[in-house]
Amino acid sequence: MFIVEFVLLMFLISIFAGIFGSIVGLGGGIVIIPVLTILMGVDIHFAIGASIVAIIGTSSGAASTYVRDRVTNLRIGMFLELASASGAITGAAIAAYTNSAALETIFGSILLITLVPMVMKIGEDIPKSPELKGASKRLGLTGSYTELDGREVKYNATRPVEGLAGTAVAGVLSGLLGIGGGAFKVLSMDLAMKLPMKVSTTTSNFMIGVTAAASAGIYFARGDVDPLIVAPVALGILIGAAIGARVLLRSRNTTVRKIFAVVLAIAAVQMILSAVGVPV
Amino acid sequence: MNLRDPESMNVVIGKVLRYGVILSGAIILLGAIGLVTTNGLSDASGMLTYNPNAVPHDNLDVSLSGLVHGLVTFSAFSWIELGVIVLIATPVSRVVISVLLFAAERDRLYVLITAVVLALLLFSMLVTPFIPGFHS
Repeated sequence: MFIVEFVLLMFLISIFAGIFGSIVGLGGGIVIIPVLTILMGVDIHFAIGASIVAIIGTSSGAASTYVRDRVTNLRIGMFLELASASGAITGAAIAAYTNSAALETIFGSILLITLVPMVMKIGEDIPKSPELKGASKRLGLTGSYTELDGREVKYNATRPVEGLAGTAVAGVLSGLLGIGGGAFKVLSMDLAMKLPMKVSTTTSNFMIGVTAAASAGIYFARGDVDPLIVAPVALGILIGAAIGARVLLRSRNTTVRKIFAVVLAIAAVQMILSAVGVPV
Repeated sequence: MNLRDPESMNVVIGKVLRYGVILSGAIILLGAIGLVTTNGLSDASGMLTYNPNAVPHDNLDVSLSGLVHGLVTFSAFSWIELGVIVLIATPVSRVVISVLLFAAERDRLYVLITAVVLALLLFSMLVTPFIPGFHS
């Protein structure tokens, strides 16, 4: 394949990846990795290096819009980053002592199981907001955003400790495998903290850039961030994230939840396939 | 703009991210145009070969001096690398700015939280790659 063909093809696929990644709060890596390894025959290490750049691009590219329009909850994001950043360092520290196939099987299965509560909540538009009390109150884990019809949706977070624990798992996975963090972040905010779906995916989107940046140093130093691959990926992702952010702001929570459920199923299957040796 | 106003935090952080993304995108675009115009009709597979026996695995110089040399000699790869570094730096600068904005709001709890996040982030990015046994 000519370089110009490779660049154009990856650019177009990355636009698509950026659109979906920014809506579901997982980043574009979920699309980028299998395309590179299976379609392009690129080594999984280069694919993960490109995925790290794709996640940072999706995060910053879409967050600039989400934060301005106040869908992202900055305090919840920063609070949970305590867990994702510590988790990423822990993951890096224990990487030598873990069996990544076993981990992928376990966490892929957990993602499959979380599909059940996710599907049960499939019609939920705006969750009944609990009273703001305890640690959530002291931490100011509350907020509001404007819905499509112009009404102001106020919400409060509940169970911050469980949210923190789930996000720590997300961080460990990112530090260990370079992938898989976003899904656990969205699930923590949705299932434990009971936030509206758009707040969960956009706040996850906001956080994944920091988690990915935490591991970017090592991938860069190892030469896993290949310029030929990441140039079209980064450019496509940035354009896709800008489009995806506009799409999310015009979508209902129920639509975002349906898209997320589908992507969650794909992410779970990917993780289990990776455990049995398929380079995705 | 009144930085004590909590609303302004969204505006400032949104702008930091937007400018970072535009700057890195522009630099990467320059590099990509350079790459395609000089090498566009070469075979891609030669540049996509992962070499497990050498670090860096893509056989490109990732050292600071290598990067600077590549930039002044207009190497397309080095310009792409610079754009990627700017992109990686955007979430980091977002955390730095957040510490300052929470300080302007006199929100001590969140100054502490974001400062700890920043310390963890810098430790992970800059220190852990050099600790033996990490990331292996």
